[in-house]
Amino acid sequence: MSEQRPHDMGGEPGGPIDTVDHGMKFWEKQANALRNTLSRRKIVRLDELRRAAEDLGSRYYELEYFERTTEALRTVLIERGYFTEAELRSKMAEVRRRYESA
Amino acid sequence: MSLPSAYTEAPVRRFDVGDRVAVKAWYPPGHRRTPHYIRGKRGVIERVCGAFANPEELAYGLDGEPKRVLYRVRFRQRDLWPDYSGPERDALELEIYEHWLEPA
Repeated sequence: MSEQRPHDMGGEPGGPIDTVDHGMKFWEKQANALRNTLSRRKIVRLDELRRAAEDLGSRYYELEYFERTTEALRTVLIERGYFTEAELRSKMAEVRRRYESA
Repeated sequence: MSLPSAYTEAPVRRFDVGDRVAVKAWYPPGHRRTPHYIRGKRGVIERVCGAFANPEELAYGLDGEPKRVLYRVRFRQRDLWPDYSGPERDALELEIYEHWLEPA
């Protein structure tokens, strides 16, 4: 029997359920809007995002929901060649410098 | 007013409503849309949902063609969970692609 991917948890004990609505942080709203826009325009597919999230393996449940979906989006955009890992890191550093000097 | 249905035509198909089927006890690696707990179980076709691009291929950036027929399959809860104590008639319905099903 091969790997059971992290999302495939039907029938297993789920433990206590946290029913508190934590709301969405600012970055989570931004990231969600970006992901929805890119899916709607078929630049990425929902199925690819799910696969990339499942590929996180044991990290799947270490990350919070929006961290997981955002990391999946980054993986798929790099796979599809929209930018490279190096370009992303360089842009993130540039944005951080701009933010910290403001 | 009703929303447009997601169900599409699937004139070419292997199963019809009422057919008895078994989910393949397959364990291929990768993104699969059939949960582990249902693999190898027997159920009955409840409806034909239509034909859709194969999500197991879309997941890897392919075009998902040819489309695959999707069925809603009804299982008895007692057939799924060894310690199930609810009523005999309790059922679970799952949507499963044709390539995961065989006649039973």
